[in-house]
Formats: sequence, C-alpha cells, structure tokens
Amino acid sequence: MKCMIKIIVLLMVSSAPIIAQAQLHSTNRFADITGTVGSSQGTFAASYVYNWKIGKQQKIEIGLGARWTTYLGTKKDFLTAGPAEKTRTSTTPFLIFFAGQQEQNFDTLTVQRPLTNSLNLTINLGYNLSRKWYAGFNIDLIGFSFGRKGSGILTSNGTTTNEPNAKPSSFNVLLTGDHDKGTLNSEFFIKYQLDDRWALKAVYQFIFVEYETVNRKQTFSDGSSNDRFRNKANNFGLGIAYHFIK
Amino acid sequence: MKNTLIILFAGACLFFNSCTKKTSTAMVNEMVDTTTAVLKYQGNFQKGPYGTVSGSVMIYQTNGKWQLKLTNFSTTNGPDLKVYLSKEVQPLSFIKLGDLKSTTGNQVYDINGSPDFMQYKYALIHCEQYNHLFGSAELMMP
Repeated sequence: MKCMIKIIVLLMVSSAPIIAQAQLHSTNRFADITGTVGSSQGTFAASYVYNWKIGKQQKIEIGLGARWTTYLGTKKDFLTAGPAEKTRTSTTPFLIFFAGQQEQNFDTLTVQRPLTNSLNLTINLGYNLSRKWYAGFNIDLIGFSFGRKGSGILTSNGTTTNEPNAKPSSFNVLLTGDHDKGTLNSEFFIKYQLDDRWALKAVYQFIFVEYETVNRKQTFSDGSSNDRFRNKANNFGLGIAYHFIK
Repeated sequence: MKNTLIILFAGACLFFNSCTKKTSTAMVNEMVDTTTAVLKYQGNFQKGPYGTVSGSVMIYQTNGKWQLKLTNFSTTNGPDLKVYLSKEVQPLSFIKLGDLKSTTGNQVYDINGSPDFMQYKYALIHCEQYNHLFGSAELMMP
C-alpha cells in the first residue's frame, strides 16, 4: 500500500511540469453523458472534463475531471478481488498486469441485482485527430461509491451459501491491477464534433465494480479471509458531449 | 440530437425489461422409474412469505444416484424460481438443483453427489433474484 501511494505521488509530481506548461496554452472543457450496455448489465455516466492542450500543434490534451457512474446488472458474477498476493503470482505495481492468476483462490459471488453509484476524480487524455474527430482515454482515480444492498450467492470451496446483505465497496482508488479497490470506470472513445458545442461519442468501456459480503466470507487455505469481489465488465455505448466555449 | 436521445432511452428500457423472466406455466409430467428407485425421504410443501406452493416432494435413490421429485406440484408464478435443497428454511447454505421447470405438474431433478439429508433437510422453491422464499417442505423418512 505504501509503495502504491509513493507511485501515485511520483506520477502526480512528474506530471506537474507538463500541466504547468500546458496552462500557458488553451484549454478544452466539456461535459458529457454516456450510456453503455454489455451482457445483462449497463451503465450511465455523467462527467466534466478540464483538459489542457499541449504540444506545438496543441493536438494532445491532458487533464482532470469528475465522473458520476451508475452501474446496474442482473445476476452478475463477482470474483475474488484481493488481496493481490492471493490472486496474482506477482504483486509488483504495473507489472501486476502481466502476472499470472492464482485461480485456485478465486471464489464467486453472484450478485442478483447489483446497482452502484460512484463519484470519482478522473484523469483524461485526448488527441485531436482533425477538426471534427477526437480520440480519448479516461480512467477513474479516486472517489467513493454507494448503492443497492442485496442478496448474493457465494460459491466458495465447493459450498454454496446465501449472502443476504452484499453491498458495494464504499472507497475507490486506482492502484493498478488487483491492487485496485472499489468501482472504477474507464473509457476509450472517439468523438465526432457536430458543431462548435455538441459532439457525439462512441465508447468502449472497461469498468471494475466491487461488492463486499457482510455475513459470509471467503476463507483462504492459510486461514485469512476475503470479503471483496469484483466484476470486470466490457461494455459499448454512445454519448453526447457539450463543449464550453468562452 | 433528439433521435440520439430516443435511441439511448429505448436501449435503457430494453435493458430494464430484460431483467425479469417468469417460470413456464406449461404442465410437466415427469416420472421416476419406481421399479429401481427407492423412496428415501418425503415432505409436503408449506407456503412461504412470498408465494403459495402446494404438493409433495420425494427423494429417491437409484443405483447410488439421487433424484428429487415434485408431485402434484403447484406454485404461484414469479421471476427466477429455483429448486434448492437447504439446511435452513430461509436458505443460507444450500444446493441448487436448477431452475423450476414449470409452475405445475410432476417434475424430476437430479441431485449431484450424495448430500447429507440430515443437514439438507428442506426442499425449497425460492426466487433467487429477489431472495424471496415461495415455499418449503421438510424432508422426513417415509
């Protein structure tokens, strides 16, 4: 955990000169709403983005924002969400993406009617492909969640038990891979400018949604326990963006 | 712009409406081969807090395999109805036998493994999606 915090601080400090330089140039501010659907699940998101244009041609943008995401689904499987040393063969930050999975430690919490609401700080990257077309990426950094408590079925070590009070994890933070906590949304998108203010957006979304058990817990072979379970969803959708022009 | 909003709204409506699926009401009439099957446990359904279930349940053993049979069975309909063998009336620890095949008739469900019926002593009709118990039957030796 301390290592993760150091990395985040390092990233923030290292990006400060870029942002400071970018502040000398123009900005791109917009708000958007996006709806996505996947297999028995979907999301609605509303966000505000403040980007600084950088580079000589000012085609590249980087910035921060805030995003509200509502996720809902039906009968979704949430797998063991950590701790990372129980789910991955290596826990080195960033390298964890390439680490093998310890599937013997994965249990499943099937949440019957998951519904979460999350408000997160986001980081945004974009590139102006032309006057009309824009490509971008964004990801949630830190925030909080709340949502519907409900029943889930925990399948653990060959037994099936009912968890009547599964609830969304309340704290969200991006720490890379299985170190992540909570519900985090990310999007790759292409935007088409309809006029000076309005744009249409096509989105590929990758979202982590995390639920916790209250009464039932997964027990690992060393006796430690886990109450966090994560659904990783790939969704596609459409959105509308409104640009604030001075 | 207006059309885009309409498409998004229609998509959302479709998504929400796809969440509830009720059980078939077509009569089912499945039988257990009673020339080889031995009746081990049986019980009668009592209504639960969220539905009305009637009929009886029988547990048969055939050559080491276990089967559950619902006889003269009837239940009020609901979404996502399942058949459970459970340790408790309100299911906490249970074995899921599958989706309820129909709201009426005689139905047979295979039981995987060899559960300890001294522990799994209830047959339940349970709405899994909303965690609502429709009916339960306590299993006893005949």
